[in-house]
Amino acid sequence: MKKKVIVCCGGAVATSTIAANKVVELCRNNGIDIELCQCRINEIASNLPADLIVPTSKVKQDYGVPLITAMPFISGIGVEKTEKAILKVLKGE
Amino acid sequence: MRIEELNSELIFTGLEAENSDAVMEWMGREFVRQGYTKDSYVAALLAREKEYPTGLDLGQGNICAAIPHTDAEHVIKPGTGIGILKHPVSFHVMGGDEEELVQVSVVFMLAIKDPGKQLDRLQNIIGIIQDQKLLRELSKASSKEEVLKCLHQL
Repeated sequence: MKKKVIVCCGGAVATSTIAANKVVELCRNNGIDIELCQCRINEIASNLPADLIVPTSKVKQDYGVPLITAMPFISGIGVEKTEKAILKVLKGE
Repeated sequence: MRIEELNSELIFTGLEAENSDAVMEWMGREFVRQGYTKDSYVAALLAREKEYPTGLDLGQGNICAAIPHTDAEHVIKPGTGIGILKHPVSFHVMGGDEEELVQVSVVFMLAIKDPGKQLDRLQNIIGIIQDQKLLRELSKASSKEEVLKCLHQL
């Protein structure tokens, strides 16, 4: 089944666009079919259910969904670890 | 980076500011004055930064950057501003804890109208941010020409 990934930031204009692009690329390269939803942090709740949330900002609320920060895609520090973590959740390993 | 993607009138060097608000106000007003954004841009920028800070911790001892921006409704036409600070100022860290600060030397201010269409430009900026050698060189630039020279190597 298609996995739903929410990529979000404060305004859904800049950093989430970068992160969303990276997530789509990562999934394509690993043969994972996803439905991507790009939104603002305060729109997460209305876009649930999802299999994974990938925010570039701090998310204070617990939505009961795995959450992996997309900050490495912006800073370039720790990208590999983040990619592995995302794949692990989406492959359900 | 292609020359037409840089807004050289939005490149500022030798900026002296007491804090991050002062930098954002000053650069933001230039965006307004030059017709890139509406009057509401500056206040929206500061409010957004408070709620969702944009300081990027690029590692200890490294040059750090910030990417202040706000909603498209305040933008008239897309633009990328580059501010080189004479002395670093503290920004709160994107995705970090409330007390987490980073000393920022280079500010990339973004006026984004349509994120989909500006993905290349955004990726260019992220490319600069992730290239510590280039960022360090950029942080030392003392004129518009030096900034352009650094970036045209891309």
